[in-house]
Amino acid sequence: MKEKSSVIKGNAAFVTARDEAFLDLSLDIEQNSSITSCLKNFSSTETLNAEDKFFCDKCCSLQEAQKRMKIKKPPHILVIHLKRFKYIEQLGRYKKLSYRVVFPVELKLSNTVEDADSEYSLFAVVVHVGSGPNHGHYVSLVKSHNHWLFFDDENVEMIDESAVQTFFGSAQEYSSNTDHGYILFYESLGANNKS
Amino acid sequence: MFFAIDFPLTLRKDSREEKISKLRGTSGENLGWGDQMLSRTYFKTPEGRYKLHYEKTHPSSLLHYAHGKTVTQVTLAHLKEKPAPSTPTASSSSYSASSGVRSAAARWLGTGNGSRTLGFAGGNGGSKSISSTSRIGSLGTLSSSNSMTNMNFDGKGTYLIFNVGDAIFISDLNSQDKDPIKSISFSNSNPICHAFDQEAKDGHDLLIGLNSGDVYSVSLRQQLQDVGKKLVGAQHYNKDGSINNSRCTSIAWVPGGDGSFVVAHADGNMYVYEKNKEGAADSSFPVIKDQTHFSIAHARYSKSNPIARWHVCQGSVNSIAFSHDGAFLATVGRDGYLRVFDYSKEQLICGGKSYYGALLCCAWSMDGKYILTGGEDDLVQVWSMEDRKVVAWGEGHNSWVSGVAFDSYWSSPNSDGTGETVMYRFGSVGQDTQLLLWDLEMDEIVVPLRRCPPGGSPTYSTGSQSSQWDNVSPLGTLQPAPSIRDVPKVSPLVAHRVHTEPLSGLIFTQESVLTVCREGHIKIWMRPGVAESNSSNSETVLSNSFKDKPLVSSKIGSSTSSYKQ
Repeated sequence: MKEKSSVIKGNAAFVTARDEAFLDLSLDIEQNSSITSCLKNFSSTETLNAEDKFFCDKCCSLQEAQKRMKIKKPPHILVIHLKRFKYIEQLGRYKKLSYRVVFPVELKLSNTVEDADSEYSLFAVVVHVGSGPNHGHYVSLVKSHNHWLFFDDENVEMIDESAVQTFFGSAQEYSSNTDHGYILFYESLGANNKS
Repeated sequence: MFFAIDFPLTLRKDSREEKISKLRGTSGENLGWGDQMLSRTYFKTPEGRYKLHYEKTHPSSLLHYAHGKTVTQVTLAHLKEKPAPSTPTASSSSYSASSGVRSAAARWLGTGNGSRTLGFAGGNGGSKSISSTSRIGSLGTLSSSNSMTNMNFDGKGTYLIFNVGDAIFISDLNSQDKDPIKSISFSNSNPICHAFDQEAKDGHDLLIGLNSGDVYSVSLRQQLQDVGKKLVGAQHYNKDGSINNSRCTSIAWVPGGDGSFVVAHADGNMYVYEKNKEGAADSSFPVIKDQTHFSIAHARYSKSNPIARWHVCQGSVNSIAFSHDGAFLATVGRDGYLRVFDYSKEQLICGGKSYYGALLCCAWSMDGKYILTGGEDDLVQVWSMEDRKVVAWGEGHNSWVSGVAFDSYWSSPNSDGTGETVMYRFGSVGQDTQLLLWDLEMDEIVVPLRRCPPGGSPTYSTGSQSSQWDNVSPLGTLQPAPSIRDVPKVSPLVAHRVHTEPLSGLIFTQESVLTVCREGHIKIWMRPGVAESNSSNSETVLSNSFKDKPLVSSKIGSSTSSYKQ
């Protein structure tokens, strides 16, 4: 369960790498995107320049650099947190992003250090109900014995797998749909992925 | 190696190293996120600009809560000039009225390319008058309204059939009118899928599958002639879901199948029906013993309709498509497998698994050599019937791929006789609201990249690592999901955000590309060289010249600027 970020400086072939343990991946989200796409953005190479230059320990100065994050060891349980609550500078406050972000019931991580594609299956979703960041309600969907269950406080209902897609989010900004998938739980299907 | 397709450099490097189809004038940054601006009214391709010509939608006032629970699909229907003499179930009053104006309509529509002239001469005014007359009609002045209504629909024409909520809408493709000329509401359940057969011998040419599992066949012309808001002259199959009560997901006429058709359902079954055949009371099929295995059951009685049940897979069959000669049937489903069947022999020929997740759509090339699929792994897959495996992955969508199609009207710029290179143009649409166009040059796909040692340069495999990959798999077997390193990647030629809502489908016509979003808005993008010719009869000339000469005479190099969006 390691996350690895490496920094490559622009003018020299220095590569610094740092391992970090993670419990979940917090992903930036975009309107009408997929988890696959958010994961790609998460692991894409970022150039650190202008005001974001990298401080190099070796030359003791700010340098232009490239940074990227890869998963060193795919976890047994992959927890994905969607950054739906975002601070909007123009507004000076947090806002809930109701973006439509689709998540498949099957997923593979390809942004890993190892070559093998690790395969995952969705087994739970935490849903935030509400239009703003300061209020609302949480419900959850859990797959148990091949059936999806919907938990809302003391109420538990059996739902069809196809109902999961009603929690993807809204394709338009102003929508009456306020139930959005917030935290996703995937379980590894691979035999040799032990946490 | 790091596979992050949104990063421009990676995109370019991968493509070059793997010697896949050329990246033609795309520089990664256009494919990424960034601009949330409103969709533009044109997009550029090597052969010129595709321009937004007009839009079709539904009257939003008709929508109620059910809207949004179903996804809009669109079917293109060409009605031929000669109408079937009459459909047996047609009401006599509407027919007597229509025959009176038939000659006038034929003369009016008979010039030029018809399908276009009709649009601009008649479509606009004509369909306007229809909507008003149908309102009058319902108040009781039937005789006059009938003649007005029928006038348009006895000649040839091209129509768009699309479902939104609990209704089916029909629009005249060639009219600039945004609103449909006809709406049909279903009180019992929502329509989900539909199919049209231009070659239908007798009246019924339109199939409609419902959320309840019910299926109808009707005559499109008869619907257009009728002024009501209900389906008329319909044959009803699987009534109240008596044979299968799961959602209809996809429906198709069997090409050359003499009125037989196939309906796919959300429970993994497909049924074969024969139109105009009354279903006998007992059409039951044996219990499926193993949900995970393919099995076929034929009806026990000759009078039964459906005549056969194909159990394809566990979970939903999401889409089906016949090869154009009708020999093969492709299915894609929740389990992520593409399956290709020999339809008449009822045998599984080949198939394979997606990278991950369900497959949502599939389409054949005209020559039957390739199948496109799209799904929840955001990839467009190109499946080769010859190799019986995936030969390319199209990377470029930022969400699920919901519609794929080959552009059969597009002619390769290299088709000038030197022709070793066979090139295909295809398109895909996704829930990322984008339309992507792709070129595939088949001779450029070589042995795929296998390994990429960290920090080193990529090497090509000698074929030892996965020998299974290099051999054509035996008939009737399904391939496992390929590893990401085993499949050549293709980058899109063009990426354009065409709608603000997730898309659900696309259709190529001779003059245009049609895109449709889940919420029921359709946009018609005219091909380069066609859009300029709005006026009347120049259509035939233009579309001919468009077909005859290659639009791009030379290969487009790596210049990226000219096609930037």
